[in-house]
Amino acid sequence: MDQPPAGEPAAQVKVTFTTTETDIQLPESRRQLLVPADIRRYGLSRILNSESMLDTGAIPFDFLVNGSFLRTSLDDYLSSNGLSVESNITLQYVRSLIPPVYEASF
Amino acid sequence: ATHLTNGDKDLRDYSEALEMWSTFQAKTHSLSLSLSSQLRLILTPSQSTKLSGAFSTGKRLNIKKIIPYIASSYKRDKIWMRRSIPSKRAYQILLCVDDSRSMDEAGSSSGRLALESLVMVSRALTMLEVGQVGVVGFGTDVFIAHDLTAPLFASHDAGARVLQHFTFRQDGTDMVRLLRRTLDQLRDARLLAHGGGEDLWQLALVLSDGLVQSKDHARLRPLLREAMEQRVMVVFIVMDDASGGKKGHSVLELKEARFGADGMPVIHRYLDSFPFPYYLIVHHLEDLPGALAALLRTWFSEVAV
Ligand SMILES: [Mg+2]
Repeated sequence: MDQPPAGEPAAQVKVTFTTTETDIQLPESRRQLLVPADIRRYGLSRILNSESMLDTGAIPFDFLVNGSFLRTSLDDYLSSNGLSVESNITLQYVRSLIPPVYEASF
Repeated sequence: ATHLTNGDKDLRDYSEALEMWSTFQAKTHSLSLSLSSQLRLILTPSQSTKLSGAFSTGKRLNIKKIIPYIASSYKRDKIWMRRSIPSKRAYQILLCVDDSRSMDEAGSSSGRLALESLVMVSRALTMLEVGQVGVVGFGTDVFIAHDLTAPLFASHDAGARVLQHFTFRQDGTDMVRLLRRTLDQLRDARLLAHGGGEDLWQLALVLSDGLVQSKDHARLRPLLREAMEQRVMVVFIVMDDASGGKKGHSVLELKEARFGADGMPVIHRYLDSFPFPYYLIVHHLEDLPGALAALLRTWFSEVAV
């Protein structure tokens, strides 16, 4: 994807986090979040682990969107599915079995 | 629902729009009456609170005239002040309705709430007969659903033709463009109005879910300042439907995450950077008349002195 010009913040998309794992549920007031649209699994994991969310340190998470693992940026997911930043994306998070790989763009 | 294409804009089916207008009108009738009677007191003051002038009879002595009065051997007797008669006010009111997809996303009924509000508010303004009422829609682009200079849309037919324009299929919410176009439109409308000594007031009411790209917040500030200088009051009415137990879905609770230079996520409340100085959050349609009236009353007490 095109990099936004320096200093220009990225577009945002609204996501709703859900999980089936009972020990890592978010309180209702924290489930909806605006995130940079160019975010990937690594950035989403960092957000979930942060103090204001689950405060879980460094658990690697994987994200299911519409039944499949998110392996691209949200941006790419939106455009390949004919969606826009107006969409509200439901992300189901699960503890990952694969350790997170740092990617240049998170 | 079937959609007909009119130019490059999809229109809602006429009979469906007509049905919506009738349903919403019936549902909001008492709210329209309530809003209309509250606005009558605020928008059309019949008595000025200011005393001024020099008359031979009046309400209170004008102290500055006393010495000349005595010096003139009581001949220059126009020593009284009266309440000045307020000049008749006229209004140009633009209702700006968010037509973007987020209004109608799964789980969101902001679109429906916005259209119900549009019907309720426009009917209240029609009952008041205080001036011109226009409707614009916005998303990635701005379009006119009812021209400011056209007759008020009082009939079901005219109302349905306005509702036809709103299908919530625009893939963006360009609030910067909306504000730019609104200010330009109102500037032109002021030049055309130049009414006979009437005092012209301009209002823009934005009906939206409040989801604006945060990067636009800073770009909106200079436009909002320009609105203030142009004496246009912009009221942002956030449609935040709370019916059906939508806990945790309120824009009041919405947060945003950004990454700092160190790559650490920072989380803020979304509304903390929201740039509109006058905004209302409406959870139920019944809240709107009282909240809008209270906000306008505050604004008029600040600027109309
Ligand atoms: Mg939107």
